[in-house]
Amino acid sequence: MEFQLAWRNIWRNPRRTVIIMIAVIIGLWTMISLTALSRGMVNDMIENGIATLTGDIKIYPAGYHDDPSVAYRIGDADQIVSGIKKILPAGTRYARRIKVNAVASNARHSGGVTLAGIDPEMEKGVSFIGNGVADGRMIAETDKNAIVVGQALLEKFDTRIGHKLILMAQGADNEITSRAFQIIGVYRAKLTSTEKQYVFVNLSAARKMLGVGTDISEISISLTSHDEAEPFAREIRELLEDPDIEIYTWKDLLPMLKAYLDIFDGFIVLWFLVVFAAMAFGIINTMLMAVYERMREFGLLKALGMKPSLILRSVLLESGMLLVIGALAGNLLAAGSVAMVAAKGIDLSALATGFEYFGMSSVIYPEIVTKDVVLANAVVVILGLAVSAYPAAKASRITPVEAMAHV
Amino acid sequence: MSRTFKIRLIVFQGCCFLFTLFWFAGVSPATAADAGAIVQGAINYLREDTSESVAHMTIHRPDWERTLTIKAWTKGQSDSLFRIIAPPKDKGNGTLKKGKEMWIFNPKINRVIKLPPSMMSQSWQGSDFSNNDLAKSDTVIDDYTHTLIGEETHDGKKVYVIQSIPKPDAPVVWGMQKLKIREDFILLREEFYDEDRQPVKVLTMEKIGMIGGKLYPLQWRMAKADEKDEYTRIDYESIKFNVDLPPHMFTISNLKNPGR
Repeated sequence: MEFQLAWRNIWRNPRRTVIIMIAVIIGLWTMISLTALSRGMVNDMIENGIATLTGDIKIYPAGYHDDPSVAYRIGDADQIVSGIKKILPAGTRYARRIKVNAVASNARHSGGVTLAGIDPEMEKGVSFIGNGVADGRMIAETDKNAIVVGQALLEKFDTRIGHKLILMAQGADNEITSRAFQIIGVYRAKLTSTEKQYVFVNLSAARKMLGVGTDISEISISLTSHDEAEPFAREIRELLEDPDIEIYTWKDLLPMLKAYLDIFDGFIVLWFLVVFAAMAFGIINTMLMAVYERMREFGLLKALGMKPSLILRSVLLESGMLLVIGALAGNLLAAGSVAMVAAKGIDLSALATGFEYFGMSSVIYPEIVTKDVVLANAVVVILGLAVSAYPAAKASRITPVEAMAHV
Repeated sequence: MSRTFKIRLIVFQGCCFLFTLFWFAGVSPATAADAGAIVQGAINYLREDTSESVAHMTIHRPDWERTLTIKAWTKGQSDSLFRIIAPPKDKGNGTLKKGKEMWIFNPKINRVIKLPPSMMSQSWQGSDFSNNDLAKSDTVIDDYTHTLIGEETHDGKKVYVIQSIPKPDAPVVWGMQKLKIREDFILLREEFYDEDRQPVKVLTMEKIGMIGGKLYPLQWRMAKADEKDEYTRIDYESIKFNVDLPPHMFTISNLKNPGR
């Protein structure tokens, strides 16, 4: 009965109702879809960061994090991995690597790179290089002098597949060691800075070049969810209790991303409130109009003995209906538009250079996160009802005498 | 100093080229061996057992030019010490090479720095020679396959043209080198090519005359192939071969405190 009454009341002036509903719909739509877009960007930064040889959890020899030199190594990697395999869930992936700074040169160019000695099989699902190469072929277990470089490095060095690249680095004996590699494959990464930085060789080739025996410089662990990194890192720390080993999560290794993520959560709340503030004035205005129009009705109801609280309730119900219908439509619209955009991603390659500065790719895939949707709806509906309390209170406080004087 | 290194380098690289001959149809192994011997001979001729020399290095660029005077000592193929003695601004700067390692000394900051890998490909004192050119000079014979590809006549003397191709595993940036060595083992020209066989830089020896008791190229010139007006020239003022060098000559303390 009450619902029917409220429903009929809001459609007494359809144009006004539709206009305010559109305001609610657009408000929610922008809140959700723009947040989804930003989430897409942040997730992209995180995925890029983690896939760029970071991993969810990383085990370093003590000292390596501050000074990534070949002097710091892990000798008993197999033992460590078999130990932590027991506490980590199935589906977790492990990659062992040698990683040192090196200088690459050919006849005309030279530049600093990060030399990564990898086992291509282990990298699958851990880092971007596990996805294989764009051109040529991936390094295999038996390759001795094969190297895979990024497309951007290939262009910078003015070279091509089949040509030589000489790598120079400091070896385990502190002497400069150099080795000739043949470019056999070219990988594409999301960021050209990554393509320029990393060159990949076989783990055994890197070990041989640097003279490190069977040692490695890091173990990278890829979990099924990035959020599990911290609890598992704590468990691994307790399990190993080895002073020669340091355990980091991606949040430790990518501190800027972590800070950005934290700021972003606060920023979303702020952004929702700002959008809502604009919407709130519209809601108050509409409800005030609706209430003033019907002052004589409210006076009549009062004269018939209706309790003020019932009038308050009926006005709030009307505004609640407006808000809920608008919110539902807004959610549907946002879900639809985000799904449409997410299917192909937003190509921002025209702005690629600027985006790379922040570690983002040029194609953004918006992503709707439940917690953001709940927050947006809660802000709109709850605060919307709160601001409608003012016109509702006005209506409930009217006396029959005042109502008669009301034009 | 630079000069000596360069020479060494050139010779070594020449050796490498010799090996390349396989490549050319119908070349007998004996020819390859001969080419290697010629390159080895040229290196020995340039370096002798020990040497002490003074040279002027002129670095020429389109809009500027500067000349450094360098005193250099070498021993065998792996040890050398270069010290700048003029102009006063650069005086005292030194470079010590022992085996594959290099140190530089800068008197202004009174520091000896061991060259890290990242600096190996940078140029030496702003010249067209890189630190690597100096540091790797003694590995070149082993890193290349040398092939005799022709003979020419210069000033009535026979000149061997030798092509040197790096061995597949050799950590050498060049794709090929071409050496011209006179029959009396004087190196006349060394060309450095990239892997597409495009010339990158060329070292030429000019003004062959008597110095230190033997015929020796008095002027060396290293130029980039694609830059017309950029080169580094070394003019030898004096050179003595097979001198007695004190045992502490190639040490870091001597690099830092000359004459002690």
